[in-house]
Amino acid sequence: MTETADDTAPRPETVDLARAFEESGTREVLRELDEEMIGLAPVKSRIRETAALLLVDQARRRMGLATETPTLHMSFTGNPGTGKTTVALKMASLLHRLGYVRKGHLVTVTRDDLVGQYIGHTAPKTKEVLKKAMGGVLFIDEAYYLYRPENERDYGQEAIEILLQVMENNRDDLVVILAGYADRMDRFFESNPGFRSRIAHHIEFPDYTDAELLQISEIMLSEQNYDFAPEARAAMADYIALRRQQPHFANARSIRNALDRARLRQANRLFAEAKGPLGARELSTITETDLRASRVFRGGLGTDRARMAQAAE
Amino acid sequence: MNDMTPQTVTDAKKRYSAGVMKYAQMGYWEPDYTPKETDVIALFRITPQDGVDEVEAAAAVAGESSTATWTVVWTDRLTNCDKYRAKAYRVDPVPNAPGEFFAYIAYDLDLFEPGSIANLTASIIGNVFGFKPLKALRLEDMRLPVAYVKTFQGPATGIVVERERLNCYGRPLLGATVKPKLGLSGRNYGRVVYEALKGGLDFTKDDENINSQPFMHWRDRFLYCMEAVNRASAATGEVKGTYLNVTAGTMEEMYARAEFAKSLGSVIVMIDLVIGYTAIQSMAKWARDNDMILHLHRAGHSTYTRQRSHGVSFRVIAKWMRLAGVDHLHAGTVVGKLEGDPATTKGYYDIFREERNPMALENGVFFDQDWASLNKMMPVASGGIHAGQMHQLLTYLGEDVVLQFGGGTIGHPHGIAAGATANRVALEAMVYARNAGRDIWNEGEDILRDAAKTCTPLKQALDTWKDVTFDYASTDAPDFAPTPEVSA
Amino acid sequence: MRLTQGTFSFLPDFTDEDIRLQAQYAIDQGWAVSVEWTDDPHPRNTYWEMWGHPMFDNPDAAAVVFEVNECRKEHGSKYIRVIAFDASPGWESIRMSFIVNRPAEEPGFRLVRQEGEGRAVRYTIQSYAADRPEGARYA
Repeated sequence: MTETADDTAPRPETVDLARAFEESGTREVLRELDEEMIGLAPVKSRIRETAALLLVDQARRRMGLATETPTLHMSFTGNPGTGKTTVALKMASLLHRLGYVRKGHLVTVTRDDLVGQYIGHTAPKTKEVLKKAMGGVLFIDEAYYLYRPENERDYGQEAIEILLQVMENNRDDLVVILAGYADRMDRFFESNPGFRSRIAHHIEFPDYTDAELLQISEIMLSEQNYDFAPEARAAMADYIALRRQQPHFANARSIRNALDRARLRQANRLFAEAKGPLGARELSTITETDLRASRVFRGGLGTDRARMAQAAE
Repeated sequence: MNDMTPQTVTDAKKRYSAGVMKYAQMGYWEPDYTPKETDVIALFRITPQDGVDEVEAAAAVAGESSTATWTVVWTDRLTNCDKYRAKAYRVDPVPNAPGEFFAYIAYDLDLFEPGSIANLTASIIGNVFGFKPLKALRLEDMRLPVAYVKTFQGPATGIVVERERLNCYGRPLLGATVKPKLGLSGRNYGRVVYEALKGGLDFTKDDENINSQPFMHWRDRFLYCMEAVNRASAATGEVKGTYLNVTAGTMEEMYARAEFAKSLGSVIVMIDLVIGYTAIQSMAKWARDNDMILHLHRAGHSTYTRQRSHGVSFRVIAKWMRLAGVDHLHAGTVVGKLEGDPATTKGYYDIFREERNPMALENGVFFDQDWASLNKMMPVASGGIHAGQMHQLLTYLGEDVVLQFGGGTIGHPHGIAAGATANRVALEAMVYARNAGRDIWNEGEDILRDAAKTCTPLKQALDTWKDVTFDYASTDAPDFAPTPEVSA
Repeated sequence: MRLTQGTFSFLPDFTDEDIRLQAQYAIDQGWAVSVEWTDDPHPRNTYWEMWGHPMFDNPDAAAVVFEVNECRKEHGSKYIRVIAFDASPGWESIRMSFIVNRPAEEPGFRLVRQEGEGRAVRYTIQSYAADRPEGARYA
């Protein structure tokens, strides 16, 4: 019944890549990526390369030089808080603008959303998630938890099989991004060659430098209409250097948490000290004391807890 | 206008002293009146005789359609007459029509018997239409308060349940009126029904004047038609129907025919508008009680709906019929052989099918009308339409409509079944294209031509009727043209 | 015999792309789409078997095509239809319904006549396939 446009439209003799770059909105997405995200130079350049590849592929298909939908599934590796989810959102939007996914939404899941508790539970759960993600991008965080070799009867295997099938058969319908720590992802791919062969693009997310994290902290604050007092900025720099050496450091996520706690301390301080009416200035300034009260300056977030966490693993 | 307007006489002694007084002075003109939510409002187009003031004419219409008589009567004072008097509260000149005015008149709810179109119409279009000081009078629209709407049953089945019973969704229904209108024997008549339904139509239809005549008595028609319906249903796996016209000389006879139709398993029966409002309401109640779809053929309506200056607008008839409780009613095709411009017809269709009608002057709809969850009526488009117009029909009339191709089915060069198939293929192809996002208004002919590649009957239909159009000026277009902002 | 129930039965059989386009229309109207199958296509068999719940939360019709194909794996020799439900006030019913899979052979229906009083005849429609038990009706 259906007649696709390709059957009837005449093939172009030449293509204008610069124009396609502009008109597809690719340029716009890349500009957003550059402006909104601090650092991440290698990630940005990988995405730029991917965009170029897709634009060329699109042009080749229009000229009849290629017919297959390219494999677009990806892996994003890196430590927590290095911007993987945010970049995935941009990637979904990029793929949508280039016409590789129809809707461009991002569905973020972990093992618990895919794997069931009892027999017959996993397949419907996985399919439900896949159906929701169709037309967009499925982002599986800490994907290696799907595979538990120590338990032969683990239902994760069932989810993996369905995922692989859909990643292969429904390449037009969704793009899967597997994300997690680099070393664990490597081991996961070693034991699941099916995944490795279906992933075309590997993108590594480096840790942020101290300077980048400081810049991120200032942006985060200003988004909430706060800022640092002059000496507080130095305290934040000290905080970042110390925090990095302590357990469970999660890059930008640790910074967000630190700022949340600093705002809490600021509020308490204002209550304790205030003698008269407060102005906007006082209400939106984070001072050095708000930061230096952190346990990070006193040896860390409870070394006991860190030890317990290690024992559990 | 205001300087000339006679003031209401408020001094009771003067107001009720014997003699003749202007209607406006008697209190039927109240320019400051704000209609209550429970008031029935009527909008009349009045054409006063030369020399008659329009306000006095409007007041006279209010008076004659409610409590007044030609002279003052003291017995008014035994009643709460301020309440019972209808109030003309607004008179506007009709755009581009010198000598014609729109008069808005409000009626208290207690003037009307609950659930009776006969009573409502006896007031609103009773004596008043013959009133001498007016050259012409037309009831253009009515606002029926929810409190009054709720006293009526409404359509016996409604669009939603009709579709559920027919197991048919997502596309207009297809029908055909059996032709020739008169003279076929029962056996020959059933042949037309069988061929048309087997070929792909959902419904066939008796014409308005097929009742019980020497060439075919009603029982013969019913028996042969139901054999045809069941044969076609078995051949296609679809629920099929034929509108068996039960119109007869007495209510008793109509009930007898409807009962026979039911006993034969028909899903639908049909009546004519000429049987009268009370008979229509009775049949609607019967249809609700017997799980029957009720089709109304609007035979006779053009005698009073067509001329713009005098009579009753069809949009008012449509409102009354939704109250009265019919399921199907003819409402124009825009493109076929019978009266109806696109804007006015849209107004009718909205009255049939919407939960709530907002005021839309460009469609001739003067009031907000809430239907208080009364079922929706299925509009029927018939008269001079054919498969080649499918894109226009779907664009103008939408999805919830019965498209009836009588000549456009039976007149097909390769027979009735081929005609039915042509219509069904054209319809499905057009709905498919619309859903797939194509611009059917502009690409309609291409879509039909493509569909005809795999359907010879459609190709033959398109070739036969390709040049048939009915392009005449409408006699009943809306008075208000949309401004560019509205239409954009 | 060809069963012609539904919104599109007189068009050539639907490809997956046809199904996707029409289901996407339904989704874009805000309707929930579901897949049903039967081996008893009687015109008044209202309740076909549900292949899972209606899909309320799937923005893209690829999900519908996916489920149609899953259903075909198990019921490919029977009738499968796609249905769209509209929950909006005044409707709360089906707005679209089209067949996407048919048995290779469609035996159709037998018309049984029972002669009654006078010339009245009572008609009953029976599916030839339904002579056999459920599950064994189509090859």
